[in-house]
Parts: sequence; structure tokens; C-alpha cells
Amino acid sequence: MAVLSALQEKRLRDERQRAVDDLAKKVEELARSNRELEQFAYVASHDLQEPLRMVAAYTQLLAERYKGKLDEPADKYIHYAVDGAKRMQTLVQDLLVFSRVGRLNSENRDTDCNVAVEIAIANLQVAIRESDTHITHDYLPVVLVNPTQLAQVFQNLIGNAIKFRGPKAPQIQITVEKQPDEWLFSVTDNGIGIAPEYCQGIFVIFKRLHTRTEYPGNGIGLAICRKIIEQYGGRIWVTSQEGVGSTFKFTLPASEAGSRQGQNHDDRR
Amino acid sequence: MMTAGEILLVDDNPADLDLTAEMLSRGEFCGQVRTVNDGAEAIAFLHRQGKYAGAQRPDLIVLDLNLPKKDGRAVLAHVKNDPALRKTPVVVFSTSQAARDILGSYELGANSYVTKPGDLQEFALAVKSIQDFWFRCARLPQEEKQL
Repeated sequence: MAVLSALQEKRLRDERQRAVDDLAKKVEELARSNRELEQFAYVASHDLQEPLRMVAAYTQLLAERYKGKLDEPADKYIHYAVDGAKRMQTLVQDLLVFSRVGRLNSENRDTDCNVAVEIAIANLQVAIRESDTHITHDYLPVVLVNPTQLAQVFQNLIGNAIKFRGPKAPQIQITVEKQPDEWLFSVTDNGIGIAPEYCQGIFVIFKRLHTRTEYPGNGIGLAICRKIIEQYGGRIWVTSQEGVGSTFKFTLPASEAGSRQGQNHDDRR
Repeated sequence: MMTAGEILLVDDNPADLDLTAEMLSRGEFCGQVRTVNDGAEAIAFLHRQGKYAGAQRPDLIVLDLNLPKKDGRAVLAHVKNDPALRKTPVVVFSTSQAARDILGSYELGANSYVTKPGDLQEFALAVKSIQDFWFRCARLPQEEKQL
């Protein structure tokens, strides 16, 4: 009896060990395939730029030299070619930026989120002034991240809130709540909002909800936000009501240095 | 006034050579533009070897980085380590925006680094700026002439 149960125990132990080994192997495979994909995106976007620059330059040269000298369809075709090449150039540039996100996480340090927000606001000052945007933010914590990337997240979220504004001057509130092991940030606006069926898809690279004539852009901003936040082990999502506004929420792990939290801090612009 | 001079363009892409030469011909630059297609040719040209026995020393070298045979970095290192060549200004003109390429070029002694812009107007402006600076604004080294 004792022999039998010892045998059973051993079999169970072996099975468990096999499952653990399999899982470790799968994790390693996934990590490798991720690295390869990143490398692929980087190489593809980098090496595509050179021939693309030739297409763009020479179609523009054609347009410059032969506009009005051929017939009307020819002018139109050249215009389509120039436009397509230019758009592809910005797509390739964006892909390069996106693929670089994963290559910077070795540069993490204690980062004051207040400073990151200030940098984002400074980079957007023209848009903020022109749209008469008013931004308030809580006293924000210190987190362990790459400071440039955190400023980028705030810049993309604030920039979107301004871009997709409603009829009234944009009001943006940045608040933070302490959760057990993480910080929960919210960026709330009074913009046009997003229909519930699109709230997931907007974080996918090159996903756009509007035509380029309505709102310019390639649909890269939120994809970059998600990639940055997820690489720190955080999550990002949105809740929204059409015609009322959106709240983008994201979490970042709480670091040792960042255990202070403050009151409302008005930053009128 | 723009000084006359000679520019050596080093680039393996004929479309890029044509484009740069086209932009140079639009400005007031009235000197010669010579072109070579790889790093080994560039060095032969600069040392007046083989078919380049009758070549002039250029006043400015405009150098692409990614070249077949000897690449741009090797040409740059060669020029800046050769006592007879090192005074010739070298403008690196490359598609690369990588910090590593920019820093590396300056470390090897490049006189400036210009990224080839993707837009035609900006490309034209970049070429014009290079020629304006080196042939109008800057003073170039001259061999002392016996009177």
C-alpha cells in the first residue's frame, strides 16, 4: 500500500515537473518570437526607407517638371503616386518608432510623473494655446520607467484629447489613485468620445476611426501607448460616452521611491 | 558670391547621384561635380590612381555611408587619417538617422552629417544648404601658390 502511494506520488511529481518544463519552454519560445518580430519590423522599416525615398523623390520631380504639360489624367495619376509614396513614408517612419519602443526598456529610472506631464504639455504648447485647452493634474507619483517613454504616453493621450475635441474648449484632468501594488492613472477629456464597439480596437497599430480628411494621422499614438505601458507590466483601456468625453486609464507598478501621493494641483493654461 | 570648386559625390545609388547632381545644377554652384559608385573608387579617385590619374583634388567630398566594397565609414577613416587628404571637408549624406551612424561619423572626423530627406523640396533645400555653406559661407583650404 505504502509502495503504491509512493509510486503514485512520484508519477504526480514527474508530471508536474514536465508541465513546468513545458511552460518554461513555451515562454522562452514566445520571447524569442517577439524579439524576432521586433527585429523584423525594425529592419523592414529601415531598409524600406531607401527605395521609398527614391519613389517619392522621383514622382515629385515628375510632378514638378511635367505638371500641366501632359494631359489631365496624367496629372491626377502623378498626384496619386506622390500622395501614396508620402503616406507610405510616414507609415514606415511610424513603424520604425513603434518597433523602437521595445528596445529602450533598459533605460528605466525613478521618474517623476509631474515632470513627464510638464514635458508633454511643453511639446504640445502650440496646440494647447490654439485650442484654448485647460489641463489640471493631481500631484503625481514617482515610477520606475524610461522618462522619455512616459512623457510620450502623456503626450499622445493629451494630444488625442485636443485633436478629438468637441464643440467646447478642451478640459483635461489627469488624476491618480493608489492601488495595492500599482498606480492607476486617468486622463479624462470632454471630447467627442468613442462608441463602445471601438473602445478595444483603437489600441491596435494603424487602426483609425475617421478618414484622413476629418482627422489627420496614421493611428499609431495609442498603439505606442499600449506597447509602452504593457512593457512595464501595466494595462491601458478606455471608457467613453459619445458626445460627452473619454477617460483613458492606465496602470504602472508602484516603485519604492514613488510612495507619495498628493492633492489637486492646478495647472491653468 | 559663390566660389567655384569641385565636389566629389560618393554614392552607389544612381538615382541618388542624379538627384543630388540635379539639385546642385539648380543652384549657383558653377564648379565641377564628379561621381563615383563605391568606396574603393573614391579612394582611387582621391589618390589619382589608375583611370583617375588626371583627376583634380575635390574641394568637398559628399559621402554616402552604405557603399559596396569599402563602405563610407572606411572611406571617411582613410581620408581623415591621410595627411594629404584630411584637410578636405567631408559631408556625410546618408539615409540613416541612427544615432550610432551620426556619432560614429563625427568620431571619425566628418565635417558634418546630413540625413537625406524623404521629401523632394527638403532634399533640394539640404543640397542647397550644403553648397551655400561650403562654397559661399565657409573659406576652404587653399594650397599656397607661388607668385
